[in-house]
Amino acid sequence: MSATYANKVVVAGFGSEYRHDDGVGPIVAERAVAEMPLSNNVGPLSDPLDLLGVWNNAELVIVVDAVNSGAPVGTVQMLEVDVGGVSEFEFDAEPVASLSSTHGIGLAGVLRLARALGQAPRRLVVVGIEGERFDLGTGLSELVESATNQAVREVVNLIKEAERCA
Amino acid sequence: MTHGARTNRTISAEGISRVEGEGSLRVRVQDGQVIDVALDIFEPPRYFEALLVGRHFSEAPDITARICGICPVAYQMSACLAMEDACDVVIDERIAALRRLLYCGEWIQSHALHIYLLHAPDFLGCADAVALAELDPASVTRGLELKRTGNLVMRTVGGRAVHPVNVRVGGFYRVPDVASINALAEPLRNARDAALRTVEWVSGFEFPDVTNEYRFVALDQPGGYAIDGGNPASSDGLALSPAQFAEIAVEEHVARSTALQATLGGVHRYLTGPLARFALNAERLPAIAREAASAAGLEGPCGNPFRSIVVRAVELVFACDEALRLVEQYEPPNQPAVEVIARRATGTAATEAPRGLLLHQYDLDDEGIIRRARIMPPTSQNQLSIEDDLRRVVESGLALDDDELQWRCEQAVRNHDPCISCAAHFLDLTVERS
Repeated sequence: MSATYANKVVVAGFGSEYRHDDGVGPIVAERAVAEMPLSNNVGPLSDPLDLLGVWNNAELVIVVDAVNSGAPVGTVQMLEVDVGGVSEFEFDAEPVASLSSTHGIGLAGVLRLARALGQAPRRLVVVGIEGERFDLGTGLSELVESATNQAVREVVNLIKEAERCA
Repeated sequence: MTHGARTNRTISAEGISRVEGEGSLRVRVQDGQVIDVALDIFEPPRYFEALLVGRHFSEAPDITARICGICPVAYQMSACLAMEDACDVVIDERIAALRRLLYCGEWIQSHALHIYLLHAPDFLGCADAVALAELDPASVTRGLELKRTGNLVMRTVGGRAVHPVNVRVGGFYRVPDVASINALAEPLRNARDAALRTVEWVSGFEFPDVTNEYRFVALDQPGGYAIDGGNPASSDGLALSPAQFAEIAVEEHVARSTALQATLGGVHRYLTGPLARFALNAERLPAIAREAASAAGLEGPCGNPFRSIVVRAVELVFACDEALRLVEQYEPPNQPAVEVIARRATGTAATEAPRGLLLHQYDLDDEGIIRRARIMPPTSQNQLSIEDDLRRVVESGLALDDDELQWRCEQAVRNHDPCISCAAHFLDLTVERS
């Protein structure tokens, strides 16, 4: 199915500000988009399914989220998602059968759904910030707070790169 | 996983798909007889009731909203009503209308999600929503548009679509202006048309020919189809206040589950949710929803759980129509909230979450501090009925091969849209030390 790609950049920050470092995604997304007003901040989101309808046929989608990968706290990681190779996409090892708890349609599942509907973005990049605290409460931990500047720079650079290519 | 001979076999599904949360089901058949059926809930327990103790009554709506990302408004509304019951506060009619509009938004997004992405694949031989999207992209797109409209209503009234932040005991923090409410009218008209097409779509599915005898329990709300309050009523004649219902609805803990299981009087299982609401309150639906139901073959109470998808679609029509009515009649409240002064009391209230009746009960002290909290979500109330459905499915489906029977069992669970995250909020903890 062919798709027409609108020239737009969508930035989505995932997470809850009431769970400490889980809230870093929306904070980074908001700051990056404030620097790059041509892009569109659709966060804060907590359900990847909400990306459908707002990322349709975007040139670039940047998902910013706290991660828990075992890396040192505050590490900023970039993951370029192979949108075209979605059938081999094992981003979160999500099997078809589990595609679907009412909270649990993960990013991989949403991307596959978007592909089936011809609504997938051209490019998808995940910017992950290694968190430390995910319990109830507000405020980022110190190392995560320190990492937000780098994460914002990464997002801004991705937006600039997309705009140069447009 | 399935294994075993035809007369002695075990059907188990470790991690039921397309339900919210972590659960499994287990069925054991011996000598052709069903000897054990169990819906196991093993989602890590959520200590919200304990977390609430010691917190100020005004915090309950925001804390309990975190129990579930799909039905946060239900938790907020039941919490607010219970606190207002404790503090003997009656809210302004306009605030009540705005609450009902917010709740309609939640019904629209939750029902659309369940019908299109979670339940419909069962009837069309699709493993999941992606397979359905490949088979029928137009229908899935329609479902996603419906969900977006529900989210839009929640965002406009509640501040955001997931875990709305604008709700407080006594009303709201901020009242939406007329223009932003009026802007919902056109999307809701489109959504109502889409909901009508949804009823047509799902009524064409093939359903197993079963009729189960349920004891239905739903709220009775004078003047309308209950959503945002009312008194519990049952199909066998019970008519109780929420506090009376809280007394007879007995919750018990079983070892295999982190959720409580509810019965009436410790004896009778019962069912809440769309089938119950439709059975008890169908005559209060607006004409457009009643006509859609009739055209879909729904006349009177429906005891076929597989047809719950049709009832849910009729409720989708109702929620869109009701939201549109509230938008067209919107008059901003004179003040966002009424003052609520705490007092030592117990407050109890129930509302209709998309999945069924959700009851909250709180004991407050003189300072408005919560001293006891009880939350009874629909899934723990429905669990015994779901297990009984499973038993019937297995008994009537012993001729099916294991894969088909497992599919049918999972479908029987999904018929009731269980939210295991909501149900798993309690665990007795015993620590043995030596």
